[in-house]
Amino acid sequence: MPLVPETSALTIQNGSPGFLSTPGRTPTSVTVHPVALFTILDHYLRRTESQDRVIGTLLGTRSDTGEIEVRSAFAVLHSETAEQVAVDMEYHHTMYELHHKVNPKEVIVGWYSTGSNLNTYSALIQNFYSQEIAPHQAIHLALNTGVEEGQQSGVKAYVSSPIGVTPKPENAVFLPIPCELQFKETERSGLDLLSSVSNGSTDAYPATDLDILERSLQSVSDMLDRVLSYVRQVLVGEVKGNAAVGRYLMNTFGASTDELEKGAFNTSLQDTLMVSYLANLVRSQAEVSTRLALATAS
Amino acid sequence: MAAAIAASLPAPQSAPTPAGPTYEAIPASMSKVIDIEADIPLACVQLDGMVVSKIIKHAREAHGTSAHGVLLGLDLDGTLEISNSFPLPHHINDDDDKSVKGVARYQASMLRSLKEVQADDSVVGFYQAMALGSFYNQTLVETQAIQQEKLRHGGVVIVHDISRTARGNAAFRAFRLTKAFLDAYKRNNFSTESLINHRMTFSSILEEIPIRIRTSPLLGAFLDTLSAPSVSAEPSFTKPSSALPPSFSVLNLGTNNVSKNLEQIIEAMDAYKTEEGNLAYMQRQIAREKGKADAYVAKRKDDNAARIAQGLAPLPEEDVSRLFKIPVEPSRLDSMLLLGRIDAYSKTLEETSSTALVKMYASRGSAVV
Repeated sequence: MPLVPETSALTIQNGSPGFLSTPGRTPTSVTVHPVALFTILDHYLRRTESQDRVIGTLLGTRSDTGEIEVRSAFAVLHSETAEQVAVDMEYHHTMYELHHKVNPKEVIVGWYSTGSNLNTYSALIQNFYSQEIAPHQAIHLALNTGVEEGQQSGVKAYVSSPIGVTPKPENAVFLPIPCELQFKETERSGLDLLSSVSNGSTDAYPATDLDILERSLQSVSDMLDRVLSYVRQVLVGEVKGNAAVGRYLMNTFGASTDELEKGAFNTSLQDTLMVSYLANLVRSQAEVSTRLALATAS
Repeated sequence: MAAAIAASLPAPQSAPTPAGPTYEAIPASMSKVIDIEADIPLACVQLDGMVVSKIIKHAREAHGTSAHGVLLGLDLDGTLEISNSFPLPHHINDDDDKSVKGVARYQASMLRSLKEVQADDSVVGFYQAMALGSFYNQTLVETQAIQQEKLRHGGVVIVHDISRTARGNAAFRAFRLTKAFLDAYKRNNFSTESLINHRMTFSSILEEIPIRIRTSPLLGAFLDTLSAPSVSAEPSFTKPSSALPPSFSVLNLGTNNVSKNLEQIIEAMDAYKTEEGNLAYMQRQIAREKGKADAYVAKRKDDNAARIAQGLAPLPEEDVSRLFKIPVEPSRLDSMLLLGRIDAYSKTLEETSSTALVKMYASRGSAVV
């Protein structure tokens, strides 16, 4: 699931294994956790008037196949003028120590900046970070907030490689590497909650389990309606049917539920009924017990 | 009005208004006296989207149920706005002095660092993650009691249930200790009469505050971009077309952790039974001692009556409490907390089994002839 459409620019192919054992190789792909994204956005919102873009450090883990997983991020103080750029490394070290205490597995993997223009300062900062985590190479995440006109919001990841005749730190080219959003299934419902809130749904929070189930079933029912109307149109002849779609639909709806009648499903159903009854019983028992304690006067 | 005062308090807020009326900042010495915000009781808690995802991530990565951290934010007009949070390192031994100091140092330097990047740095509460619904334990109650005294509005504790989130329903609940409970806790008196006086059951230890979740518009826009399906010429059937495809994991028929939940209920009930056994033993001892003391006093009275009848001087009535040590009535806080846990576990079990029933009947319904 790439975050931006495919580009035809240079990408790095790193097929041979053993990324961790031979440090100094360039990373091949980046997966970003939503928490890091949200932290960056929040930092961007809190910037002062004078700052045009904000930078910070990325923390995460490296895998053996060259994949870098960005798990969290924190902001770093920096100032940028026309002549020079300054980054507060003391602050960076302090924050890294603090974060490391909570989560020892996360290490510095690179840095981020909002705004997608890559200029000399970016190269300098990239060089700085690469020196920090030598011999591994630092990745740079450029997050475009899409606030300005004409720029689409998205995330791009880069590694730098030197270019040019003289090996100066400013002479570097940023090579894009594929970047994806990744999260565990357990966190999925948190993201769903956030996107439903941002879409302005007025459902009461907290929603009970049955509400969530109802919403899911509703959306499945809507999808079935759409498929049904499409199939009807194809049968009537209004729309030319796509053979691939038809085959896919046939495969999906081919599953039969005849085996459910036998054995294990029924006993499982009975077990669930019993468990539900027991849970209710335990609850009322606990309630009665606590009231009894109040009733007995000593 | 409250917003104006809040804007002029010495806490860092957004950029100052360019051409509006100038507010004079209340000097720090007076800010405790003119603390308008403290009078407005907390009616609602507002969680920022980033805090939601941070708590979920920390809860998932921490081992077991030891994930806790600090909440930062502002209280404004009766709403507690939580805008940031950070996890606390897991301390193994609470009584260890060094680890307590270490945690305090961590918190102080984290707050300092966050202040430099213009994040809110006032602590408004703490969060705790747990599994399968049980959050009634001693540490939570103690921490919340300490916090409720120190913070301006009495902090809230946000509780997150990681197993419920895994099932598809991201659950955050905010709690505060009730006044009755705080009263009894301060006096450290949880004997039976005090319970009756305060009418305390396990459900009246904590009171729930409604939560509202808020996402900043930038975050909302970003999420929209992520979940919008990208239009391509050849739709593929295996790869989803957007970075955030809709998920239907809640429709899975699964075991839903039923066995683990039942195990925990049984464990809690065993612990409760032991606790009740101890309490009954102590009560019996107290009754026995009291009986002995009363018998002694009655015997003394009889003796005195007999001696007066005989004309001798009555014996002094000795102080009974010196002779018979009546033990103190035991605290019932533990058993109350245990009952609360049993209730919470069985509530979770009830909810999972009810949704499982619905799903099972629905999937069976299509197969019924």
